[in-house]
Order: sequence, then C-alpha cells, then structure tokens
Amino acid sequence: MKKVFIIILLALIGYFLVDTVYNIPFGENRIGSIESDHPTVAGYYLSNTVEKSRVANVITAIVVNYRGLDTLGEVTVLFLATTGIASILYRRKEEEEDVERLNLPSSMLIRTGARVLFPIIALLGIYVFIHGHLTPGGGFQGGTIVATGFLLMLISYKGFNTNHNIMAWIESIAGLSFILIGVWGLISDNTFLGNIPEVGKLNSLLSGGLIPIIYIAVGFKVAVELTGILDILLKIKPNK
Amino acid sequence: MMQEEFNEIFVKYHEIITLGVYGTSIALMLIGLYAVLMKKNLVKIVIGLSIIDAGIHLLFVGIGYIRGGTAPIFSPGYENAANRMVDPVPQALVLTAIVIGFAVTSVALSLIIRLYKHHNTAKIDQIKSLKW
Amino acid sequence: MVITPIHYIIVPLLAAFAIPLISKIHKELSRIIPGIVMFYNIVISFVLMQEVNTVGYISEIIAGWEAPWGINLIITPFSGFLVSLISVLGFLIWLYQYKFKKVIDVGEIKSYGILQMMMITGAIGIIITGDIFNLFVFMEIVAVTAVSLTSFYRNRDGAEAGFKYLLIGGFASAMILLAILLLYTQVGTLNMAEISERMHMVPQGIKATILVLFIIGFGIEAEMFPLNGWAPDAYSQAPGPTSAAFAGIVVKAGVYGLVRIIFTLFDIEGAFDFLIIAGLVTMIIAEFSAVHQTNLKRMLAYSSIGQMGLVLIAFGIGTKAAVFAALFLMFNHAIVKSLLFMTGSILMYNSKSKTISSLNGIAKKLPYVSILFAIGAFAIVGLPPFSGFWSKLYILTAAADKEMIFLILAILAVSIVEIVYYFRVVSNL
Repeated sequence: MKKVFIIILLALIGYFLVDTVYNIPFGENRIGSIESDHPTVAGYYLSNTVEKSRVANVITAIVVNYRGLDTLGEVTVLFLATTGIASILYRRKEEEEDVERLNLPSSMLIRTGARVLFPIIALLGIYVFIHGHLTPGGGFQGGTIVATGFLLMLISYKGFNTNHNIMAWIESIAGLSFILIGVWGLISDNTFLGNIPEVGKLNSLLSGGLIPIIYIAVGFKVAVELTGILDILLKIKPNK
Repeated sequence: MMQEEFNEIFVKYHEIITLGVYGTSIALMLIGLYAVLMKKNLVKIVIGLSIIDAGIHLLFVGIGYIRGGTAPIFSPGYENAANRMVDPVPQALVLTAIVIGFAVTSVALSLIIRLYKHHNTAKIDQIKSLKW
Repeated sequence: MVITPIHYIIVPLLAAFAIPLISKIHKELSRIIPGIVMFYNIVISFVLMQEVNTVGYISEIIAGWEAPWGINLIITPFSGFLVSLISVLGFLIWLYQYKFKKVIDVGEIKSYGILQMMMITGAIGIIITGDIFNLFVFMEIVAVTAVSLTSFYRNRDGAEAGFKYLLIGGFASAMILLAILLLYTQVGTLNMAEISERMHMVPQGIKATILVLFIIGFGIEAEMFPLNGWAPDAYSQAPGPTSAAFAGIVVKAGVYGLVRIIFTLFDIEGAFDFLIIAGLVTMIIAEFSAVHQTNLKRMLAYSSIGQMGLVLIAFGIGTKAAVFAALFLMFNHAIVKSLLFMTGSILMYNSKSKTISSLNGIAKKLPYVSILFAIGAFAIVGLPPFSGFWSKLYILTAAADKEMIFLILAILAVSIVEIVYYFRVVSNL
C-alpha cells in the first residue's frame, strides 16, 4: 500500500518537474550580449576573462577569482566534513591499536597492478591541478584523482599506511595559504582575494597571477583530505 | 567542419536530445527519491540521496548548454570564440555542489558506521528508537 | 587594516585551519582560540554597527569584482543587529562550553571547538551574503557542522538523530540547489539585489515552482511545520552548548534566509498570508506537543519551534510595527532560549536521568542554576516585567491593528499552554 502511494507521489513530482523544465528550451542561447539592459554574468565572464584575468580556462577564473568566496566555503565544507568524521568515529588512544583495515585478500594481479598504477595516477592528478587554468580540470578534480590512487593502494594492501601527521600538516598549511593569499589581497588591494593578473602571458603555465597558486593549494588540500576520509572510513574495529 | 555537422544532427534530432538530457536527470532524481523513501537499508538510502544530487547536477550542466557551443576555454586557436561558448557559470557552480554533496555523503556514511556498531544492523526499521 | 564584514568569515577560518596544528603543540591554547575569535566577532560587530548607523548600508566586494560579477557581503541595520546579537551569544556560549564538563570528558575537544565556531560562522555567513549561491554554500557549512555536533556523544541516539537531520537536511539543500538552478536560467545572475530587480521577467509558473522549492528548503532549516521532524531529536541529543547554539543562532539564520527570500525575491501577495498560516500551524502543533514531553531538552526544543512559529506570524503580519515586534521577539528568544538550554543542560547533567520528574528538588543542590532557569522560563512565557511580555504585547498590538482577532486568541491560548508546561518544570525544582 505504501509502495503504491509513493509511486503516485513520484509520478506527480515527475510530471511537475517535466512541466517546469519544458519551459526551458534546451540549447537556447541565454547568454545574450553584454550591452543589453539585463546583462548576464556569463556574458561578462566570457568577454572579459582574457583581458582582465589572463587565464585561458574561464571556469577556473570563475571558481577561483570571481566567485572565490564560494570556493573558500567549499574547501571549508570539506575540512569540516573531515573534522566531523574524525569526531564521529572518535577513538581514544587505547583503542587505536585494536583497529585494523578490513581487507579481502587480494590477488597478485591486483597488488602488482596497484603498485604500478599508483604513481601514474598520482602524476596525472598533479598534472591536472597544476594545469587547471589552461585545460579542463583544476584543484578539485586533480585532488580527487590523486585520492583515487591512494584508494587503490589502500584497498589492495592491508599494510599500506598513510602518515597522518604529514597529512595533517599538508592540510593545514594548504588551507592557511589559501586564506593568507586572500588576506594579502585584503591588505594590499583592500579586497579579499584580489588578483595580480599581469604576470606571465596567456596560455603559458605561468599565467593568471595568483589563480594557479590557489588552485595548487586547493589540489593538495583536497587530495590529502579525501585520503584521510577514506582512511578513517576503512578502519573498523572488528566486532569480536 | 565538425560544428556544422553537429548542428545538422542537433536540429534533426532536437526532441530526442532534449529528452535524453532532461529526461535522464529527472529520471535520476526520481530514482534517488524512490530509494530514499522506500529502501530499508541505510546505505541504500544514502546512495539514493547521492543519486538525487547527481540528477540535479546533470540537469544544471545540461541546461547550461548552448547549441553549437564549445568548451569555455580559450586555448590557442579559439581566442575569438567568446560568442560561441557554452555557459560557464553552471559548470562552476556544479563543481562546488559536487564537492559539497560528497562531503555530506561521507558524513552520512560515517554515521552509518557508528549506527551499525551500536545496533549490529543497517536496516532502518530496527533503528527507529526516537519517536515524536 | 580596516575592519570589514569579511573578517566575520576569515578570522574564524584562519583559526579553524590553525587549531589542528596548534593543538599538537599546546593543547590549552587550542581550546582558548575559539573564545578569542568569538570575542573578536563582538569587536567587529561594534565597529560595523557604528558604521552602518551612519552610512546606512555596507556592501563589501570580494576578489575585486563588483557585484554582480563578483560576490558581495551586505550589512543593513537589521542584519547587522542580528549578527551582533549572534556574536555576543557566540561568546557567551563559548564561555559556557569552556567549562562544560561532559564535553571535556567524552569527546575530542579540539574538534568540538572547531565545529561549534564554524557553525556560528556559517550562520553569520548566511545572513551577510549578498549572493544566492553563496547562501547555499554557507547553509551547507551549517548543515555539516550541525550534524557532526549532534552526533558528538558516542551514544546511539545521537548518531540516529544526526542521521535523520542529515537526510532531511540533504534533501533540503537539494531543493534549494534546484531552485537556484531554475532561477539562474531565468534571470542570468546570482546576485540577490539584481535578482529582485529582474523578478518581473520571470513567468508566473516557474516563479511559483521556485518559490515552493525555496520554501521547502528553507523551511526545513527554519523549523517550519511540517518540516521540523528532525529538530526535537537533534536538540535533545546534542551537547548543551550546541543546543543553545541551535536555538539561539542557527534557527535565526534559517528564519532570516526564509524571510529574505520571500520578501526580496518575490512580491506575491499570498506570501504574507502563507507566513501567517505556516507560523500559526507550527506554533500550535509545537506548543501542544511540548506538553507531552518528559525529556527536558525535547520540551525546550518544541517550545523553541513554537516561538519560531510566532516569529513567522509576526513577519507575516507585515506592518512596520509587526516586523519590529518580530525582531524583538527573535532577540528575546535567542538570549532566553540559549540561557534555558545552558542551565537546563547543567541541571540534567547533575540529575539521575533525563526526565523532568527526575529534577525533583534539584534546587537545593544547584540553587543559582535553578533560579536562572526559572527566570528564563518566566521570560519566555511572558510574565511581566520580563522581556517576553513586551515582545508578545507588541505582536498582539500589531495583530490588533490589522484586526486579526483569531490570531490574538490563538496566541493567548498558546501562551496559557506555555505557562502550564513551564511551571510544571519550575515547580518541580
């Protein structure tokens, strides 16, 4: 009975959504020109990024520069999630020795493959977040790729341990550098996260002023945090 | 050039492509909602929430598409393509939303671990000890 | 360096990132840092309130791009006042938390300090931001910290309450995200001031959909009926300082977000009536549920929800006097409810169980705390000359101006119910 009721509810919601979306034609050009009475933000970003920010990837410029506060908030959410998970699964010092990672025994194929793939994956991830301003990608994407490499190692090898001390240091330093870059903008230019775009020429690695630096810090932070979360979630005290 | 061919295909199959993008995202949202409401296993409920998020993100990015547009990156050779690029703002917003959705999912999973440790089960009907 | 609104955000963030490192070196220092940050918030509030009172409106642009190309932070006299209140409350709650024994014994104290501080920062962020997607990000900050804090104690009920909150909260944020998406496709910008200018361009059908989605999303955070199922569990399971912060700070930010969206983005006539009805239903159901409760914290939670319903009613009445009354009620409720939660937690910690009846005669053991609790109860219920009386009087006068007799009767009836269940506790002490 409950199932029927829910199916009807879902059908109603589905109809409601389709009806709404129907009025938003697919592929229609909503950017318009920036001369009109109601200029859209997208038009402004597309026309002005090259001159004003000297960054090739418009999305990176949006994420790091125009809407930098959102990115800061997002980095904060990740950090708070890590802190929250650490406090939810809090173990006192005595219990630390009892926990172990529950690993199924892995075959030789997996073990060898993981060892070969891990540095390649890490390298790819680092490449992605260093080139975030030139190619699709950036801090979050690259950090996630690196963390995936770590995940591969974590589930293939029971004995693979990440050094929590180093990870905590990298995380804190990366986060602090993001904010300190912003504060420097606040002191020198009177706006938080102000950029100095004149450095370098377009499409080279050294373009866009502070944007690549911020993204690199974000990349490290995300990689370390995701690995930390995975590590905590994988360690379970076996129910005796 | 690739763009013209793609434009032709787009015009001919406009309905299907629209259906594909919008329909998939709405279907994902409904599937996720179904999982959240109907499933008994806690992990499946969290996966359902994650699927709802995926549907919304897909809808967002799909709506940002502009016919005949290219990726909003000014690589060499595309310097003057500013007026035929897709909308970059939804992509930037979805980037943030994906990470936030991930954070929420990971916190939910850690809570499930703790609930499992206490109750030795992951089924929601056996865990409801807090009532109105 | 000039003090600007961004300090509300970056100073706590700097502290939050630094605390894990500092706690390795010097544990006591890492416990004091949140207190220093909260105190600095008060300093900022003081400076900014003076500025707002002369200039009338502060708008600070972030990253050097003025709105709408970039994000801006806005302080108006109303929001500035609310944020100042939150800063003061935040500091007082920190003082309470510093000595709160149960948290010190049981959990990882540095994480608690970080999470509590960031939850308050997130609430402040919701209030001062001028950009709608930024609002979403700050709401997520509040959601993640609130859930982690609810499940802080290692008991099973805490984890369950936290999970329920997370599910419902996750659903709420999905609704808000969908609403923001639809809104963006219609107006092309994300800055709230610009959106309110362009709202007339949006066709009525989509406008209604977006409004419904926003109401569901924010209503969950603002504890509007029927979306507040998560609240009693979360309030009762969270540690004392956190419940105080929920009641005094988080829910205020939720209500502010809801009211702001409805007022500035939409000019639909029905919006005001909707607020009155929603507030009325919330208030009646919550207050009547409060009578049944045996757990002290749950009772306080229901009472809190009821008061928020009253605030929504006041906003819905819509006249200038009514809005002032709503503000006064929020101010009053934030201070008094936090006081009630803090003293209530101390009382419960010192009694055998969590039920109200077990508080029998506890006044002999903790006379000062009991007196404070009683004062708080009198103030909330509306006994003269306490502040609750005046705030309710203002709302009743505003309702009388618009001749809403039914409202007056309902509010009076609910006040009687409140007196009943609060006196039951106080007489037991």
